[in-house]
Amino acid sequence: MAILPTQKKGEVADIAFLLEGTYPYVRGGVSSWVHQLIKGLPEITFSIAFLGGARDMYGDIRYELPDNLIHLEVHYLMESWSSMIPRAVRGNAAAFADMNELHEFFREPTAGMSDDLFRRASSLIGKRRKGITRRDFLYSKQSWNRITHEYSRWCTDPSFVDYFWTVRTMHAPLFTLARLARELPPARVYHAVSTGYAGLLGVMLRNATDRPYILTEHGIYTKERRIDLAHAEWIREFRETFGGGLDERVGYIRKLWISFFEGLGRLTYAAADPIIALYEGNRLRQVDDGAEDSRTMVIPNGIACDALSPLRGKRGEGVPRVLGLIGRVVPIKDIRTFVRAMRSVVSRLPDAEGWIIGPDEEDPDCARECRDLVRSLDLEQKVKFLGFQKIGDMLPRMGLNVLTSISEGQPLVTLEGFAAGVPCLATDVGSCRELIEGRTEEDRAIGPAGRVVPIASPEATADAAVELLGDEETWRAAQRAAIARVEKYYDETLLFENYRRIYGDALETSRGSHRVRAS
Amino acid sequence: MGAIGFELRKHLRTESFGGILRGYGYAGLISAGPWVVSILGVLISGKLCLSAGVPPHEVRQFAVSVTYLMAGSLILTGVLQLMFTRFVSDRLFEERAQVVVPNLLGALTLTTVVSGALGAGAVLAFFGGQPFYYRALMMVCFVCLCDLWVVVVLLSGLKAYRAVLWVLFLGYALFTASAYAMSSHGLPGMLAGFTLAQAVIFFALLALIVLQYPAFETGRLVSFEFLRRDQSFYSLLLIGLLNNLAIWSDKFIFWMTPHTSDMVIGPLRASLIYDLPIFLAYLSIIPGMGVFLMRMETDFAERYDAFYDAVRGGESLGRIYTLKDRMVFALRQGIYEIFKVQGMTAVALILAGPRLLDAIGISRLYLPLFNIDLVGVGMQMVLLGVLNAVFYFDYRRSALLINFIFLAGNILFTMISLRLGYAFYGYGYALATTTATFAGLMVLQRRLDDLEYETFMLQR
Repeated sequence: MAILPTQKKGEVADIAFLLEGTYPYVRGGVSSWVHQLIKGLPEITFSIAFLGGARDMYGDIRYELPDNLIHLEVHYLMESWSSMIPRAVRGNAAAFADMNELHEFFREPTAGMSDDLFRRASSLIGKRRKGITRRDFLYSKQSWNRITHEYSRWCTDPSFVDYFWTVRTMHAPLFTLARLARELPPARVYHAVSTGYAGLLGVMLRNATDRPYILTEHGIYTKERRIDLAHAEWIREFRETFGGGLDERVGYIRKLWISFFEGLGRLTYAAADPIIALYEGNRLRQVDDGAEDSRTMVIPNGIACDALSPLRGKRGEGVPRVLGLIGRVVPIKDIRTFVRAMRSVVSRLPDAEGWIIGPDEEDPDCARECRDLVRSLDLEQKVKFLGFQKIGDMLPRMGLNVLTSISEGQPLVTLEGFAAGVPCLATDVGSCRELIEGRTEEDRAIGPAGRVVPIASPEATADAAVELLGDEETWRAAQRAAIARVEKYYDETLLFENYRRIYGDALETSRGSHRVRAS
Repeated sequence: MGAIGFELRKHLRTESFGGILRGYGYAGLISAGPWVVSILGVLISGKLCLSAGVPPHEVRQFAVSVTYLMAGSLILTGVLQLMFTRFVSDRLFEERAQVVVPNLLGALTLTTVVSGALGAGAVLAFFGGQPFYYRALMMVCFVCLCDLWVVVVLLSGLKAYRAVLWVLFLGYALFTASAYAMSSHGLPGMLAGFTLAQAVIFFALLALIVLQYPAFETGRLVSFEFLRRDQSFYSLLLIGLLNNLAIWSDKFIFWMTPHTSDMVIGPLRASLIYDLPIFLAYLSIIPGMGVFLMRMETDFAERYDAFYDAVRGGESLGRIYTLKDRMVFALRQGIYEIFKVQGMTAVALILAGPRLLDAIGISRLYLPLFNIDLVGVGMQMVLLGVLNAVFYFDYRRSALLINFIFLAGNILFTMISLRLGYAFYGYGYALATTTATFAGLMVLQRRLDDLEYETFMLQR
């Protein structure tokens, strides 16, 4: 295990990133973005609090840590509480009553956020005197009374034991967060890159320190959790025993998780300023979910166009009939639709190939299903699983950059493809349409840099692919638009400029408030 | 993206509600069985020997010797009984039946060594004036009894109590016959017959167990796993010790008080006034025990299982509450029925008392003491039921508290009754069992009120 950088006593980081299950232990869009930002702003010092589930879910650090990252600490939210020895405790009735009030608010969010209420309630978490400690939550009679009361009032699923463990599981991490909010080394500004537990930690830190709190969301946390939940087999449901299919009645336990994460989202939106989205669609969604319109803004991803443009020179003559899908082999990428589309493409363009480029160890079941599908469609010669590859080697050999995801934020790989001169064929999710067709009037005038198709539509995907790869003129036009758009709107210098300004303002505010507090 | 929101879960829906303790609570009940049979056996054989011409003082020496052997062996093994029973019960719950026999042999080895050493020490230190045969038989019999109690407890843990009672019955029939046959030898003959019977009973029961279990699959003949801290509950040692001390403390106090006792043989003192009525009264627990065993075995055990199945199996809280109410109702019925049956038995025996004593040829002077002893014994039966329930729910602290109250009460009230005079003899014991029973009911009530809370929130 590598030695992590550690902040010295008296040292204060400019920006503290609060990261949930991403950088530097898991590769992905968010992780790359964090890495890019830290490296791109060398004059600013950063610290990172990494929140994980359990230790065994993560491997080694996947990135070379930049020098201006002065501190990294790792906490596992699911550890530490199972080792406690149960012992009856009384629990503070007044504190539990305050918590009740907070939960009433979560249930009726239209009542308007009382930041004061949350400040009061969150200060109770983990407090020994007159608060609620982890022990109180896990073992006290007060806590039991609250749980059974809520169950009787709201739970429509029959299983009490499932409800009970769900409530325990979702709340137990809060006590770790409360401890972290007291113990994390000092920073001038807090920056969470999702809502959820990391977002909540930011709220607690802001409440404890009065330092500025920035939120950047790449996806929409609650929406991603909805997708996770749809796949969650561990939630036993009543209807399953009666053989019901996927119907409208979502089980209560699932709803509970969803509203829990929505609650965390609302708290985060109420505390963070600015609230940054990668693209307009997500910004509107944040506003829908309770973010104040005036605090929200859009800062798209940026890539190093200069570094990628040489790849254009490595391209051969003509258009390679290679459809590349760059991404992890997981359900959200909907690789199966890509494979089905390939069946149709290959029958029309017999020399076409489909490459799936990305690690497949994350979800072995999904990987196996995809391989089985390739075999059953008789595509073994045409669709290849290449595993993790350097995109610099791949992009020049690709004719189309394909994304069949059922959910995306702002896919970096699309931008990288543009810079390398590869048009994109993507589903209409996240900001894909903005990237391919343009966002503003001026942007749209550049023309389409590929095609947008509906999700889960192998035929439409195949049609669009054949249209682009079958006609060189169409393809050339898309390539020109791709290069023009990425250079004008998505270069990383824009990203750095934007964050340099946001951090600068926040640091200014931080110093100001500190002076006020000191005087 | 790797957000953890959900990676959390799977590990967390543990189902580690403590092992179902069914059967383990019978220990107390069942171990009461053997000594009821013993009392009966000693009384009957005494009668027979008397009629066969054995001098009365030798018959009394025999009865007192046996009483001390019983008391000593029960107190000594009481330390191990509960802990070992629980150990076996837990292993059976884990479906590791193959470790039972090796551990039984381990427990027997330990018991034999300890009881042998203590017995030899006692015989050498206190029985110097007695003939060799007496000392030898006392020691052998002590070891046999100690081993017997360990085996009996285990059998009862298996709920094979019918087999236990049959073996005991046949064993004591053998004893009665052999004591009668050897009565021409007086005390030695009776003691030899008794010891032989204990040995036969012990080996018969051991054979039953060995036959019933898949043995030696662990590749070890003898195992001391039951002494490991992570496999056993040492608090049960103390509970077992307190319980047996409590049961015997009033008798010992009467034996040690000069004006209520006399020297019978060697250092062994007995109380002419106190002993006979109370041992007779102990026979009255037979109906109450029968009823309670039935209740616990049928209604309560069933509903106990239903409750814990509901807890684990994803039932609604309302259903869990209902099932708990039913379980508590069955328990209440069980205890209430002992109360009724024991009460009626006591009333019937009190009414029939004069004629009964006449029939067995005991002075009517014993009548008042016999009557209050019937009340005390009846309450002890109810206490047994309460403790049984306490063990079912694994409330070890409560069991400790109740037994401590029983012991302290029995010592205190018996001393007071001695001071107050002859008319109050027996009241100390009755008051102690009553106090402990009511304390037990209160503790049980309070714990059961919190049962769901403790089951969910405080499970390990």
